[in-house]
Amino acid sequence: MAGGLSLYAEGKSLLHRAHPLTKGALTLSAIAIAFIAPSIGWVLGIGVILLVLVTAAGVLRRLLAVAAAILLPITLLLLAVQGFANANNRTVAFALGPIVYYREGLAIAALAALRIACLVCATFLFSFTTRPADISEALMQRGLSTRMGYVVQSALQIIPQTLDMAGRIQDAQRARGLETEGSLPRRARAYLPLMLPLVLSSLVATQERAMALEVRGFGLPVKRVARFEFADSPLQRVLRWVLIGAVPAAIAARLAGWR
Amino acid sequence: MGILNAFKVRMNTLAIVLIPVCIAIDWAGHAVASTLKLPLFLDSIGTVLGGLLAGPWVGGIAGLITNFISSGTVDPIAAPYSIISLAIGIAAGIGGYYGWHKTWPGRIALYVLIVLVASIGSTPLNINLYAGQSGVPLGDAVYASLVKSGWPTWLAAYIDEATGDIPDKLITVVVATLIYFGLPNRYRALFSVWRRQSGEPEPAPASSV
Repeated sequence: MAGGLSLYAEGKSLLHRAHPLTKGALTLSAIAIAFIAPSIGWVLGIGVILLVLVTAAGVLRRLLAVAAAILLPITLLLLAVQGFANANNRTVAFALGPIVYYREGLAIAALAALRIACLVCATFLFSFTTRPADISEALMQRGLSTRMGYVVQSALQIIPQTLDMAGRIQDAQRARGLETEGSLPRRARAYLPLMLPLVLSSLVATQERAMALEVRGFGLPVKRVARFEFADSPLQRVLRWVLIGAVPAAIAARLAGWR
Repeated sequence: MGILNAFKVRMNTLAIVLIPVCIAIDWAGHAVASTLKLPLFLDSIGTVLGGLLAGPWVGGIAGLITNFISSGTVDPIAAPYSIISLAIGIAAGIGGYYGWHKTWPGRIALYVLIVLVASIGSTPLNINLYAGQSGVPLGDAVYASLVKSGWPTWLAAYIDEATGDIPDKLITVVVATLIYFGLPNRYRALFSVWRRQSGEPEPAPASSV
């Protein structure tokens, strides 16, 4: 159980029940098309479609909270820098004292911010509705090496444990008088005493884990049987191909003069 | 020492088990840096260490999956940059194959290589994602002033990215090398399979434990 890290929450919507690869295809093609589409209107359209899907999955409120924390600072930074300094800047939009803002730069920043918003929404749509173990399981059933599947699933378990241990080591080192607050050089000096014990102990544990896996037949060259099959349907199979096919189609349209 | 020999896939169970640990070290490095409020990412220590210890594939895959996992959980924008993490791991693996981390000129070469890989690789992504910015306020201030004084966008974007990478990768390489030399010799030798030349025989398994 990857509880500490995963954003997934149980749900009964259509998206929760869809095959993991269908959701993966949806996410990837939505992101790709958002970056291929030429103008704000098209990107906005993709964003609206994504928001409708998010609402249908019943995760709108949670998604907005997480996405806003990521998108707000980036959008502000983009608007502040591009509106002020961009090679295409010609038309003055407004001036704040000596700092002049230009319309072209602001438009470029808005387009970039919208595309990033689509990327964030599409990715969260996937991770809110898909159990992380399911996607690696689904990929393994389609031929991903079981060793790679192990790597992903065990990383999802080890990361929260390691972060817990980092907290404990920090407490222990503080109790021994390590300063973790104050000026930048002082805080920087604390980095190594916190990292070294953490890394050394987690590395040394790998040998035991490798032996435990070996005695359970991890390295054996045998064919694995899946514990369960994901529900799939001809409709979803067609949908996946349509979504994947939409990306080269969008590139072709763009080359043919889609403005 | 043909460079292709370093890329021969020799993944035993120990190397596979090392990958998730390297991914966790990447995360912990970033988490500790944020709790100390250091102005750096420091999220590729595990990637570099994996490359030094067990070769380009272990380092590369660790970097790739670190970015995939963080894009699915905390930072979706990390996904496009997974290709850079892959390249950083491979670069560290090449350095490790030639034993660069053992001499001072080599360590500097390793650092320069990783900075170049990270900054040159990220610049086109930054231009497509952020219209040239890197998303870090200090670097973006440099970017704004360079573009304002007439520098071409791609050069300003590169300098913007490099202002972040130069200190970040310095600490990353220093910490990764210190950890490498802090490991017991016996432990480091466990991972040396990937350095073996093609004609060299497999070592005999230990007769008793």
